Amino acid sequence: MNACLQPIIDEAKRAWAAEQASGRVKITVTLDTSSIARGAEQTIAAIRDVAAKKKLDVDLSITGSWGFCWAEPTLTVRTAAGTRTVLYANVTADRVEELLEKTVVEGSDLPALAVGVVEGNATPEIPLLAEHPFMHGQVRRLMANLGLTDPENITHYLAHGGYEGFGRALEMDPEAIVKEVLDSGLGGRAGGGFPAGRKWDFLRTATAEPRYLVCNADEGDPGAWVNRVLMEGDPQLIVEGMLIAALAANARWGYIYVRYEYPLAVRRMQIAVDQAREKGLLGENILGTGKDFDLVVFKGAGAYVCGEETGLINSIDGYRGMPRIKPPFPAQAGLWNKPTNVNNVESYANAPLIMREGSAWWSSVSDAREKGTKMFTFSGAVKQPCCVEIPFGPKVRDVLMQYAGGPASDRPIKGFQPGGPLSGVVAASGLDLTLTLDPYRELGLFLGGGGIVFFDDSACTVDLCRYFLSFAEDESCGRCTTCRGGTQRAVEVLRRIQSGGGHVGDFERLEGLVRWLVYSNCFHGQFAMTTVKTALKQFRAEWVEHIEEKRCRARVCPGLFEYRVKAQGDAKLAEAKDICPTGAIAEEGGKYSVVDSLCIRCDACREVAPAAMELRDRAVVPVVAGAAAG
Amino acid sequence: MGAEPTAQELKDLVAEFEPGKGHLLPALHRVQETYGYISRDAIEAVARQLNTTPALVYGCVTFYADFRTHRPPETEITWCSGPACRLAGGERIREAIEHTLELPLGGHSDDGRYGLHLGQCVGTCHESPQVWVNGEVRGGLTVAGAIRLAREVKAAE
Ligand SMILES: Cc1cc2nc3c(=O)[nH]c(=O)nc-3n(C[C@H](O)[C@H](O)[C@H](O)COP(=O)(O)O)c2cc1C
Ligand code: SF4
Ligand code: SF4
Ligand code: FES
Repeated sequence: MNACLQPIIDEAKRAWAAEQASGRVKITVTLDTSSIARGAEQTIAAIRDVAAKKKLDVDLSITGSWGFCWAEPTLTVRTAAGTRTVLYANVTADRVEELLEKTVVEGSDLPALAVGVVEGNATPEIPLLAEHPFMHGQVRRLMANLGLTDPENITHYLAHGGYEGFGRALEMDPEAIVKEVLDSGLGGRAGGGFPAGRKWDFLRTATAEPRYLVCNADEGDPGAWVNRVLMEGDPQLIVEGMLIAALAANARWGYIYVRYEYPLAVRRMQIAVDQAREKGLLGENILGTGKDFDLVVFKGAGAYVCGEETGLINSIDGYRGMPRIKPPFPAQAGLWNKPTNVNNVESYANAPLIMREGSAWWSSVSDAREKGTKMFTFSGAVKQPCCVEIPFGPKVRDVLMQYAGGPASDRPIKGFQPGGPLSGVVAASGLDLTLTLDPYRELGLFLGGGGIVFFDDSACTVDLCRYFLSFAEDESCGRCTTCRGGTQRAVEVLRRIQSGGGHVGDFERLEGLVRWLVYSNCFHGQFAMTTVKTALKQFRAEWVEHIEEKRCRARVCPGLFEYRVKAQGDAKLAEAKDICPTGAIAEEGGKYSVVDSLCIRCDACREVAPAAMELRDRAVVPVVAGAAAG
Repeated sequence: MGAEPTAQELKDLVAEFEPGKGHLLPALHRVQETYGYISRDAIEAVARQLNTTPALVYGCVTFYADFRTHRPPETEITWCSGPACRLAGGERIREAIEHTLELPLGGHSDDGRYGLHLGQCVGTCHESPQVWVNGEVRGGLTVAGAIRLAREVKAAE
């Protein structure tokens, strides 16, 4: 171990041990974007208030996510003796007094909110956390510190194996580091799965100087928040990963490009970089080794295509974030036309583990071809929107039932989107696919960065297609006619179908667009039609209903159904009239009716007067202008 | 976010940024964080500082969704456009809010009191469907609830 690093680590371990031995109860609250949305800041304020009021001497600390996003705020309570730690969920501010009374004052547990015992013995009421169905099968390696350490404190990171991997890498030459990463089988976590070691080797063997590393933390796929969980929960892991990559590839500078929508991740990454620099782990002459590497946290400004690696490079360079034409590839000409390597957050974050524990240990966890663990978030029509870390390989159905808690209601799951708006849709029959890369590729889709969105039969396939195509249209950089014009055209056709103007030629029209868009420059245009392509195949009957029968079985497409008053005299009707945002509910002499031309199908009336309003297929579908021609 | 800045204030604000170093976005963020939006004068100041043209800077400002060329409204409803929110009725919520506020996405009232903004999913999908009012999550919305919220915002002085 490097002579300067060892004392830093030893010191951190001593500091952590001293903190743990304070003799006070320790409360550690998950503080991230998800928990803040559910009131974690108010919970922390309440803990302070109650502790002050009752004169309780407790240590209060923050930490990253346990993954229980749907049940935030979560927190752990560790006894003063340090022998027992219990995880609690749904601890909103109004439950704090009760919690502190039980745990701090009485020294017992509050089973009503307890999830599991992290440390110590189970009780009849509270099982071990490790045996909780949500934790079962998870292998929390990247997330090992989440729930335990303070993400804004490098000392905590250093006390838990942090920078040991970097320490090992410092004693190896670049080829050996590359070989270790290659041996591990680490593939790019953004979805491509390209071996990270090979990318690093491209950069290592590049001839121009200086070389740059870029961490792609743009996480633009709506429904994916795995990178956010990691940046907000253990930012040093990413800093250390990039340091290791820098040693392997002789890079001088690194950029961490974080999307604008993640202000807390930006802040925590910046704190992490600053603290690493203070410790001499970044900057010039790192730990006296003569090596120089420094990191810049770079804030995006809201553009999906900036997640594409060359769009991202242009964005840092100071241009519009338009994807470049490849070749040249970033390894040849990236930032400022110098050799550059772009990896996803999670790809870099695995490097410290590989270097610390060795590639054999790292890859042993998965039976699939894809090695190591992968973080996933599950959302949509599920009971428990959450974040997990699991080895590749389980069936989608199993993770849906076990981690996401199954369908949100008694409606059946109709399908899922495997990874972002370009990735396509899979029908429920595909729930038996495994979470590995190949099965999706074979179907013409792909497993993306980890955000899986489930939908049930309240969703309409045509509407989902229009949604994802509208997104692709909005986010197209505009360079290619195929992509810019093609997505626009697809949205037009889909809108027309949704408003009742579909006709049989639309199948050919959409299939034509599927064929043409692949001639676009970057993946954005090339994959923009994936949803339509896969939906046309898997949900054909629903398209036929829309186009030929003018019927939307999910009653989502606005032109294909209408609202009607079915129970005159319902006391709630006045309220329905009042809530209608467009004045579409008319009343004359106590009789209510819906003026169809004003109705935007928002459903507010049915929410307030469920027994009085009904939906029905549209009696006469109006002829939509341009339907025949367009 | 006070009054209109002078040319000198803008120049000082971006003085530390340099050409050719990836400083365009940071400079624009600095301006927006200080004044809430990026004015024409600010675009010129940034262009001068970075030794480039106002056209290039303007091109960037308009390319990125989060840069604004107008002062933000006092109360802003940001609507989540993400998939979980949509599956939970987000599109109907958008339509209802647009009709209530009589504004399209991206619009604001003439007096600048309120506006409606398109937001991206930030992974708080567990609160779907949601909007943010000046950054604060309002989750688990019903359409009726969204209409009431929009009416309140519209009526508030
Ligand atoms: C439109 C578009 C958006 C993308 N968005 C992201 C993103 O948000 N995060 C990311 O890591 N990669 C994204 N990618 C993939 C990147 O171009 C690149 O392949 C990736 O960062 C490589 O990282 P990896 O090898 O570590 O997986 C996107 C690609 C496209 C075409
Ligand atoms: S495919 Fe679309 S996003 Fe990609 S370069 Fe072409 S226009 Fe831009
Ligand atoms: S669906 Fe919406 S617009 Fe139509 S009548 Fe009901 S409340 Fe009014
Ligand atoms: S879809 Fe609205 S927060 Fe994710």
